[in-house]
Amino acid sequence: MNPYHGPCLPKGLWTLTSGPPDSYDSMVSPAENSQAITYDGLPAESPMGAPLDWAWLRGAKSEWGVHPKPSPRGLTMLDIAVGSYGDVADHPGHRSMAPRGADVGDDTADMGYILNWKTDMWSDNVTELYEEAVARQWSATRDIPWGELRELPADVEHAMCQLCTLLTEVEMIAADLPAKWMWRMNHDFIEAKMFLCTQIMDEARHAEVFRKRALANGGGLLVSRGGPTSLLRTIIEAKTYTQASALLHLLGEGFVLDIFRMGELIAPSDVEKRIFRMCMQDEARHVAYGTMHLRYAIDHDPDVAEEIHEALDHGEQVLIDFGTAPDVSTALAVLLAGGVEHVEDKGFPLSMELTKKQLTSYLARCERAGVGRLDRTSIPLDMLGIDPEPIRAASAAAR
Amino acid sequence: MSARVDAISFFDALADEMNAHAERFAPLGEAEMAVVLVMGRSGGDFRVRLDFESLGCTGVVELDDTEAGGADFRLEGPLDAWQAMFDDVATNGHATGLYTINSLALMGDRIRCQGDDPMGLDKFSRFNQTLQEFFDGARHLAVGAG
Repeated sequence: MNPYHGPCLPKGLWTLTSGPPDSYDSMVSPAENSQAITYDGLPAESPMGAPLDWAWLRGAKSEWGVHPKPSPRGLTMLDIAVGSYGDVADHPGHRSMAPRGADVGDDTADMGYILNWKTDMWSDNVTELYEEAVARQWSATRDIPWGELRELPADVEHAMCQLCTLLTEVEMIAADLPAKWMWRMNHDFIEAKMFLCTQIMDEARHAEVFRKRALANGGGLLVSRGGPTSLLRTIIEAKTYTQASALLHLLGEGFVLDIFRMGELIAPSDVEKRIFRMCMQDEARHVAYGTMHLRYAIDHDPDVAEEIHEALDHGEQVLIDFGTAPDVSTALAVLLAGGVEHVEDKGFPLSMELTKKQLTSYLARCERAGVGRLDRTSIPLDMLGIDPEPIRAASAAAR
Repeated sequence: MSARVDAISFFDALADEMNAHAERFAPLGEAEMAVVLVMGRSGGDFRVRLDFESLGCTGVVELDDTEAGGADFRLEGPLDAWQAMFDDVATNGHATGLYTINSLALMGDRIRCQGDDPMGLDKFSRFNQTLQEFFDGARHLAVGAG
């Protein structure tokens, strides 16, 4: 008799011929399994003479008998975070690529990770955001009604192309930045790394869709100047991941999220409206991750708050340079005005109003992240007419 | 026969429309959010809480005119602003121009997106296309004044 299919096989271990059991509830622990059956007589060498290891069959030290229940949408990462598999250590004991929860051998290679504390990249919503990202992927080729593009007045088409040029440029920083840090993150924090993978895909799609829009309607890519680049350099050169996350997710992507919201408002056709709405959804996930990562980091290590403040002190200054860059502000104002004719009486005043909303949203997110900036920011609140008190009050109410 | 937009039956019908056409929402992906809509009107506001789970609208509950509803965010505006939004949907088959829910909320002069928690408020952006598609379902309903 084939020893794999023996009649004394314990409940819960499938055979190749019998298939899975009706219920995972019958699963047993590895210890119980190893007591029940020892699989004596298995060969010690392969037919080619190579040594064989049956430890995985005889009862590895990892947990056996988990039985996650799929949620209505399917089997999610949240569903399988059960038993020891749901425990994410604050400081994993190894730095290998072994899956969290596996029986890890002493000889696994040290991958040289430098982000080995959970506070370095974790957020309490990261698994939920990963599932959301996977569920809400879209295609810049298929899901945008490109065939409905219509000819626009030359000034409006130029302004849209200039905005798309800028967005094509800045979006990839949000792919480069996670890529720069992900391979330094301990593999036990797999959910955070998986979420960052979705962010990279999102950003590739954003660069794609804005490049396509710039070229799709008879226009093209227009000018790229120094202002945006200095913000991008500041982000990519951040000294720690948490500083980088503050600059990218909270400051940069929060700002871009509001540009997307503005883009949807001023879109000259349903095509651009759809583009901006779809991008807005993605960007908001990234902001949600960053906000809650900073919150997690500060809650568990209050000293990190000052590190984040220092990054934002510099970042806000560079962001102001970015936001007031002449090619960015003029293109947005022309779109807001519906053309150059009313750029002064309509475009710029509306642009100022929306900038105020952008910065108010940013300051509210800082409060939520636990890094309140109202008393420290270099953003000229008075000049912009931003009243900090409602932000403070909302923050207190949310607590 | 036209439906009043400030009536629970109108939102029940929108929910039915969404739940009967998962194929329109599947490409957008699942959504998890709770929204309270507030329509200001004389004689007391109309308030409705909408719960979205997976590809459907799973809850439509009328609140009393002071109840907060414990939602991720609230969309508040006078009844005539809501009416204009749904009229635009009925006329064009979907919200256009300044009548998309994002545009209305971003301008904030007629309909405002409110909430105490920025994380809840950001769900307005995270699930915006789903919310827009939900409102656009009004194209299949006759929309009338309250």
